[in-house]
Amino acid sequence: MATAVEEAQLNQLEIQVDNGGGGAWEYLCLVRKLKARRSDKVLKHGLYILNNPRARSKLGEEEFTLYEQVAFAAMDCSRNDIAKDCIGALFKKFPGSIRVGRLEGMFYEAKGAWSEAEKVYTRLLADSPLDQVILKRKVAMAKAQGNSAAAAEYLNKYLETFMADHDAWRELAELYISIQMYKQAAFCYEELILCQPACPLYHLAYADVLYTMGGLENLQAAKKYYSSTINLTGGKNTRALYGICLCSVAINQLTKGRNKDEKDIFDLQSLAAEGLLRDYKERAPKKLSLVTTTLRNIKMVS
Amino acid sequence: MAEDLVLDTAIRNWVLVPLSVVMVLIGVLRYFVSKLMRSPQTLDAKIVREGQLIIRARNLRAAGGFIPVKSFRARRFYYTNEENGLLHVPKGQAQNPQAQMFSDPNMAMDMMKKNLSMIVPQSLTFAWVNFFFSGFVADLSGNKINLRISKLPFPLTPTFRSMLQNGIDLSTVDVSYVSSRSWYFLNLFGLRGLFTLILGEENAMDDTQRMMQMGGFGADPSKNLSAEKDGLDIFQHEWTISKMEKRAEDVLRKLVK
Repeated sequence: MATAVEEAQLNQLEIQVDNGGGGAWEYLCLVRKLKARRSDKVLKHGLYILNNPRARSKLGEEEFTLYEQVAFAAMDCSRNDIAKDCIGALFKKFPGSIRVGRLEGMFYEAKGAWSEAEKVYTRLLADSPLDQVILKRKVAMAKAQGNSAAAAEYLNKYLETFMADHDAWRELAELYISIQMYKQAAFCYEELILCQPACPLYHLAYADVLYTMGGLENLQAAKKYYSSTINLTGGKNTRALYGICLCSVAINQLTKGRNKDEKDIFDLQSLAAEGLLRDYKERAPKKLSLVTTTLRNIKMVS
Repeated sequence: MAEDLVLDTAIRNWVLVPLSVVMVLIGVLRYFVSKLMRSPQTLDAKIVREGQLIIRARNLRAAGGFIPVKSFRARRFYYTNEENGLLHVPKGQAQNPQAQMFSDPNMAMDMMKKNLSMIVPQSLTFAWVNFFFSGFVADLSGNKINLRISKLPFPLTPTFRSMLQNGIDLSTVDVSYVSSRSWYFLNLFGLRGLFTLILGEENAMDDTQRMMQMGGFGADPSKNLSAEKDGLDIFQHEWTISKMEKRAEDVLRKLVK
């Protein structure tokens, strides 16, 4: 994650390089360090250095890092011809390297040659079965082919070993949602909440999944998690406010007013509705009437 | 001793300086040899898994209150049940690391390589120093001292004798004279700073550290697992989220006002 300062620095450097002010290599280094994805610029400036023998020889050993970076950028911009040249140069220098092998696999992926990419990855995995990048590439490949179920399966296998990798859990949660396996998705979000209990986005997503599953118990839990999102964001999250309203309506429908502590709940939902209206009045006054009618329709405001 | 031993400048030029230079060169050489011999770190799936498992279980214990009680119980059962819980280590299966070391030839091989790169050059240089730089006769006012010696430019207390005059059994020689063997040892342990300068921070030259490593070898991973299991077993689940509705109400009330 890039901090605001680093990002400002990057932008400044980018403007400088774009206007021919030099510092292309420094820019590329910074992009690499911040893991920024500015493939078009990287491709342009990286290629300029690579095509300029003097600038290239100045880099020394770093030249091959640049080749790798440009190869990634080229694949991202679907300039497969450039990527191929870069990978060829790297292969010459490091035959049999896993890192170059990964690039090769991704090159086939970029071309859409799935079976060949699969072959490359299988070969690499035979040597180092615990290579996280390759295992994740396989997931990405299944996903790119539109086979979410297979992607989820690969990811499950990956998580059996690397079970503390919360990015993988998040990806899995999203995959499960996309194939409507909400119970499993809920499990993944629980895992994410355990990992970072103070991150409101996970609470929100978990509440969404619970609400989608339905049923009184889930709806009540969903409402609680929406509440905790409101807590964590200081009431600034519009989605959580809507969530409270919808959950309350759904719960009311299910219980038909048989709820004992109705009054408490009523307070929260009317407050949420009020908060919503206020929010819209401030930030999108044009849509206020729309929200008012919607809320009136579900009897949140009179 | 009444009169100072007068040292030939040739001793400085042909013993002290070469000895130091050779030590540095050998250090650099050893660094590259050990770099060549180092086998790529192969990860063991089981060890990775256990490490990750402990992180995950720790998260559950730290933030268990944030998930519903049903989910918590399911997870706890998954980790700690007596049949196939992930954290459950069957009795007797807990390997002690020493035995593990001997059962895994790779590990022993690694150790041997490390030791080879450490012990072999050291004993060779030591033998070389002993062979070439001793047996020399410093002929001074009739005294025959059977070792090459040189002088430090400052006085020292007699306790330094064993450190600086290894191999000279003469109590009359002033302590600030150094024997060649001791000069070798001084160089061996004193050049670490220089190596850090030449080879960068992470050079493999740190002999003292390596000796420490050999002492307390490895912690028992199964102990970590069962400690984590006990922690989970006594954890009292309290769903903090259930209080959130009230608090959200307060937050919103403040906001709306």
